[in-house]
Amino acid sequence: MESQTISPKPLRVQLAEFRLIPRIETYPWAVSFAQTAWGKLVVLAVFGLELRCFHTDIAALLLLLLFIGTITFLPEYRRFVLAATPFALVVTQNISNPIRLSLNLAVIALGIILYWCVMKWPKSRFGRRPVAFLLTGFSALILLACAAAPSSWPYSILWNLVGLMASYIWFIAYALTDRNSQPRRDLTLELASFRPLWGSTNTPFPKGAAYLRRIEAQNPEQLAIVQLKGLKLLAWAVLLALFQVFWNQFFHSYLQIPLPDDALAMSVRGTPVAWHLRWESQILYYFELVLFVSIFGHKIIACCRVAGFNALRNTYRPLSSTTLMEFFNRFYYYFKELLVDLFFFPAFLRYWKKHRRVRMVFATFAAVVFGNSFFHFTRDWQFIQSDGLWKSMVSYEPSIVYNVVLATGLSISQLRKRGPRTAGFVRGRLLPSAGVCIFYTILLVFSSASRIFSVMDTLRYFASLFFIHF
Amino acid sequence: MKGKVEIHTFVQELLTNSGDDEPLADGDSLLLSGRLQSIDAVEIVIFLEESFGIDFAQIGFDREDIDSIDLIFSLAQTAGSAHS
Repeated sequence: MESQTISPKPLRVQLAEFRLIPRIETYPWAVSFAQTAWGKLVVLAVFGLELRCFHTDIAALLLLLLFIGTITFLPEYRRFVLAATPFALVVTQNISNPIRLSLNLAVIALGIILYWCVMKWPKSRFGRRPVAFLLTGFSALILLACAAAPSSWPYSILWNLVGLMASYIWFIAYALTDRNSQPRRDLTLELASFRPLWGSTNTPFPKGAAYLRRIEAQNPEQLAIVQLKGLKLLAWAVLLALFQVFWNQFFHSYLQIPLPDDALAMSVRGTPVAWHLRWESQILYYFELVLFVSIFGHKIIACCRVAGFNALRNTYRPLSSTTLMEFFNRFYYYFKELLVDLFFFPAFLRYWKKHRRVRMVFATFAAVVFGNSFFHFTRDWQFIQSDGLWKSMVSYEPSIVYNVVLATGLSISQLRKRGPRTAGFVRGRLLPSAGVCIFYTILLVFSSASRIFSVMDTLRYFASLFFIHF
Repeated sequence: MKGKVEIHTFVQELLTNSGDDEPLADGDSLLLSGRLQSIDAVEIVIFLEESFGIDFAQIGFDREDIDSIDLIFSLAQTAGSAHS
């Protein structure tokens, strides 16, 4: 009888399979243990310890652990707990300010009423274009607030309302788009998805209730697996946060490389930093942004997973992207999904249907130029309140340049004929990835969030990177 | 009317172009699992419009409806029979 020998795996395969954090969700004993009472306690304890690295407020951390613990031990009440907690948090956070509390509850009530209307009258004008109506209404509210006399009580009420609407609007928009998904009329998850327990930015993580329904753990084994995946992701976020501290210390404290806004400010003042420092600052900013988005996204999605929802990661190996489109899919997945769901597809499915390329470009511009601009312009509503509508639009000009260039790049990326990937590491992976990195590094010159530099200042700085001075 | 085989071939090609050589079953999740991206959903929409005459602006669009070959086939049959 011949004896079979198992040949060792090649080094390339071994490296590809190496994991800094072991895939514990694939270990049967770990999944079994996580389903026991002691296992659940261990999961919660590890989760709490990991989260402690990010939370300085112990009371808030313990409250979150209490909610997650209830969901873990009583998963049949998961939806109820998730639906009730946003209300409970709104009430406890605003109990000392009855006006703000009332406005906050009014915004949530508005979301519920709009959801009810869209379900009740799906064929009406509003039912067919609910997001368009919502965004138009929000724009009208901002105009109304701009028209109110400063220091009057309507001014205060209206701007409070604008601020609250700005933080809820994309959650409501997702609820309104749920009209097409099954099963309908399940209000608990709709409520849970309005500023959910696991946290969010103004971008809903992870999308709306329809998505939550599809990724919810259905049995104890699935819950154990998704919780273990959550612990792993949070551990990764902790490691990245530590790395971020060392990164900042080394590059910005030890090597004294300026932040992009500082380098731009010095150029505007007529005392520019050395050319190589401007480039180093821009290149570092690209990696710092990827790191920043990875950390906060991982933290939110990890909490969502521990709550029992197997959401995809917000950031997944962005540096391996070989096309611009792939980069945005991997870099900030849920924001890209928001633009695709609420702007790209509505435009793509309605307009220019007979002209395939025009249709693609039009929908991309609708998402990236209009959608992205609307999102950020209204998110930063404080600029509109302090500077007025016109001045805040002028200070937003560099971002418009950013969005137009980005939309052009993404359109080209989508229109290029897709085929099987080019073989070979250098031509197939390294060069395309470097191309994406260079494009985005340069584009980031126009992405300053401080809004203190004019479009001409930014263009001059951009040109100076290529030795062009005007 | 094109059948499931054509849909399978089309989806398999999209996966191959994305560098995904894993086996593909008719019930496998494509979009929600992250195997295909939004740009691939656009390709599937165009394929369904051109091959089956589906008008998503009329019937409404949810990416869940095209999340697997079985769902795409079911949608094509339902919308196709309504179309004819």
